[in-house]
Amino acid sequence: MNLDLTWRLLRGGGPRGLLGTWLTLGAVAVSTMLLLFAVTANFAFQARADRAAWRNPVPAAEGRAVAVEADRFDYVRDMVITVVDLAALGPDAPAPPGLARFPAPGEVWLSPALAELVRSLPADQLANRFTTPAAGVLGEQALVHSEELVAVVGHEPGSPEMTAERGGAPNAGRSPVKVADLSGERSRDSGVYQVLALIASVLMVVPLLVFGGAAARLTVARRDQRLAALRLVGATPGQVVRMTVAEAVVVAFAGALAGTAGYALAVPLLTRVRIGGGPWFAADLWPGPPVLAAVLVSVPLLVGLSAVVGLRRVVVGPLGVAKRETPPALRFLRVLALLAVLAVFPLLSLDVHLGVIAVALALAFLGVNLAGPWVVAVIGRITAGSARTPARLLAGRRLVDDPRSAWRTVSGVAMTGFVAGFIGLLSPGTFTGEATPGLLSVTVTEGRPSAVAERARERLGEAGLAATVRHSGKLVTVTLAGPADPAAVDRGRTALAGLVPGRTPTTGADDEQAGVQLLADVGVGTVVVLSVSFLVAIASAGITAASSILDRRQTYALLCLAGTPLEVLDRARRAETLIPLTVMGGGAIAAGAFCAAPFMIGPPGVNGAITLLTCVAIGFAGVVGAGALSRPLLRSVTADPAPRPD
Amino acid sequence: MNDVLVGRSLTKRFGRTVALDGVDIAVRTAEAVAIMGPSGSGKSTLLHCLAGVTGPDSGEVHLLGRRVDTMRERARSALRRTRFGFVFQFGQLLPELPAEENVALPLMLGGVPRRQAVRQAREWFGPLGLAGMETRRPGELSGGQAQRVAIARALVTEPAVVFADEPTGALDQTTGHETMRLLTEATRHNGACLIVVTHDPGVAAWCDRTVEVRDGRLLTGGMAA
Repeated sequence: MNLDLTWRLLRGGGPRGLLGTWLTLGAVAVSTMLLLFAVTANFAFQARADRAAWRNPVPAAEGRAVAVEADRFDYVRDMVITVVDLAALGPDAPAPPGLARFPAPGEVWLSPALAELVRSLPADQLANRFTTPAAGVLGEQALVHSEELVAVVGHEPGSPEMTAERGGAPNAGRSPVKVADLSGERSRDSGVYQVLALIASVLMVVPLLVFGGAAARLTVARRDQRLAALRLVGATPGQVVRMTVAEAVVVAFAGALAGTAGYALAVPLLTRVRIGGGPWFAADLWPGPPVLAAVLVSVPLLVGLSAVVGLRRVVVGPLGVAKRETPPALRFLRVLALLAVLAVFPLLSLDVHLGVIAVALALAFLGVNLAGPWVVAVIGRITAGSARTPARLLAGRRLVDDPRSAWRTVSGVAMTGFVAGFIGLLSPGTFTGEATPGLLSVTVTEGRPSAVAERARERLGEAGLAATVRHSGKLVTVTLAGPADPAAVDRGRTALAGLVPGRTPTTGADDEQAGVQLLADVGVGTVVVLSVSFLVAIASAGITAASSILDRRQTYALLCLAGTPLEVLDRARRAETLIPLTVMGGGAIAAGAFCAAPFMIGPPGVNGAITLLTCVAIGFAGVVGAGALSRPLLRSVTADPAPRPD
Repeated sequence: MNDVLVGRSLTKRFGRTVALDGVDIAVRTAEAVAIMGPSGSGKSTLLHCLAGVTGPDSGEVHLLGRRVDTMRERARSALRRTRFGFVFQFGQLLPELPAEENVALPLMLGGVPRRQAVRQAREWFGPLGLAGMETRRPGELSGGQAQRVAIARALVTEPAVVFADEPTGALDQTTGHETMRLLTEATRHNGACLIVVTHDPGVAAWCDRTVEVRDGRLLTGGMAA
């Protein structure tokens, strides 16, 4: 009976009722889409880490080694090439992931992107570094991303490449290790990316949950009068709850399906987001069946739960909604909860376990969300008390009347402010290394540096490259004559390839490449997180603005009929959003920056400040724009000369 | 007495339905006129045309000699705000504002400073039996009390005409009669004329004159005797 009545109510809601349903559906769809992205991003980084794990060897137990594995980094143009050196210790050496068999001594297997580069660049700039033609092309299982440059080189176990230590420098590669298999383990570097992805997910998921809750309450806001009427005619609280949950869950499930479809369509675009030097495999960004099932079940459940919470007042007392009584004041306890969480942050540092940091961050986020409505109510009281114009008076009174609703409008941007404050402070300045163009250097590990320098001169001469070769201590440096364009540097690198076994001559820029890449990735991550947050914030602002008009349509129409200018109502709506936005946005940025302070790895750079300012500007413009979009709706509801309650 | 509000040959159609069919009506200073008729007879449409809410398809509306129906929407809106007052069945009070600010709102919209507007608004609470309810919100008032707040709001700008659309429709009979007594007395005391749309003869009895509408035409009493 309940389901039948619910379905009738849903269908019989009229055009405006259906508009509310569509808004809820759209909001849930956007939430689901972004939630899938936030969750899948973690799995995508895990998948990358797993595919790269074989290059991070685990030493074999005594007597169980089947192969020797080492790697080093070479460079072409501004790109890094991972060179994996392998030698079999017997016939049992297994084929590495992505290779059909274990590479024989002297064989080279290239990743598709590197093979293409070898073909396209002159041989003296790249191809001559390897034995060509290549024995085969590496499969996707061996690669972090499709554009990764990887070479797998087979050697004899006793060859210099398989015995030479690589040195301790971060970009020197891994020294030879005897391994029992080629499964390896996730590297520390990939762990850093996974940590960053997890933080990004927390930063994205919390606003999404708030947004989802707002969407659920949108259904309730539209229905509460009707459900209160049902209570008045004798429906039990259980029946009212079941009907509301049924409606919210049905709409949310449809929204979740639409969001999943939207995400599927967005995956090809998302694969183009370059992190770690390349795009993503579509399979990395597609959630597995368990994730998909979990999202499709949990989103409708969460929306249903949020609807129940929103309906509490109707269920507790049927007159609560019908009579629009003064809402109970919010408790200061909300602010105390936020202050308590913030007080923990100065005690944290990068040494604390990651899980603790993630939980603290999530709690701080939720704390901001908890304190938000209380602060909005205070702002409302101040605004109403000091208002001189009708618009500001209306705005202030509305903020006091329903601070939670006002908070929902601005919470997205405030949350984004928190994210921007957090990231803004965490973004270190750019690398300031002073690399000399055309200067290649390599550290000699075995033998005399003078002999190595002499060999370098011979090789450069054979390659027709004019250069000055020096050695100082164990370091041999090569300064190329003439303009140090990328092609000349690559000719130098190619001529010097294999000069010191296991070592690659590098420029200063090469040595900074990993750091620059990480910084670029943090930048891309910041933009992605902020884009998602803004999308949520602006959609949230738009939807709440529209639902607010729908909720007050009769009063708005009667006010206009009695001669109240539409501009006054519009100004009131704008002030109702902008006043709390200004205060809460600023407060949230400060809170985010405060939470980030213990984890700073350097003084904040200009980029962080620019990110912050852009955030504030886009946030304001977005919310004002989203509110303005609902103006036609306001015009349409006030155009009705004989408004009646639905 | 002079005619304050005059409607001449008013015609209004909604698609094929004729809501008003050549209606002539005039209301004099401090006069209370009830517009009666069954549902769909055109009485609300007549009120909307006279109040400048909707324009007639043909015919003229004059307020104190000024043509209303040809005014632009902005001017009509300003006219409704300053020269007309409105009392509806329900839903007209802003639930967020205390009663006194609901009453003060039209004054503030007209540029009166807030403090003065609230002071002027409060003066209406005693005569309308609302003393002590100034800071209550509409949700905390009874139906009759809320209607009296609406009456105060309609009269606070000292309008020339007060339009009331089923003002007692949501009230019990006793409260309805008390509301009508206050409404007619207050408008008369203010020198304003009152136009009440109702289908309740009990409500119409409070007015000086009753106009009967059927199928968009006036059966009786369009003009004062």
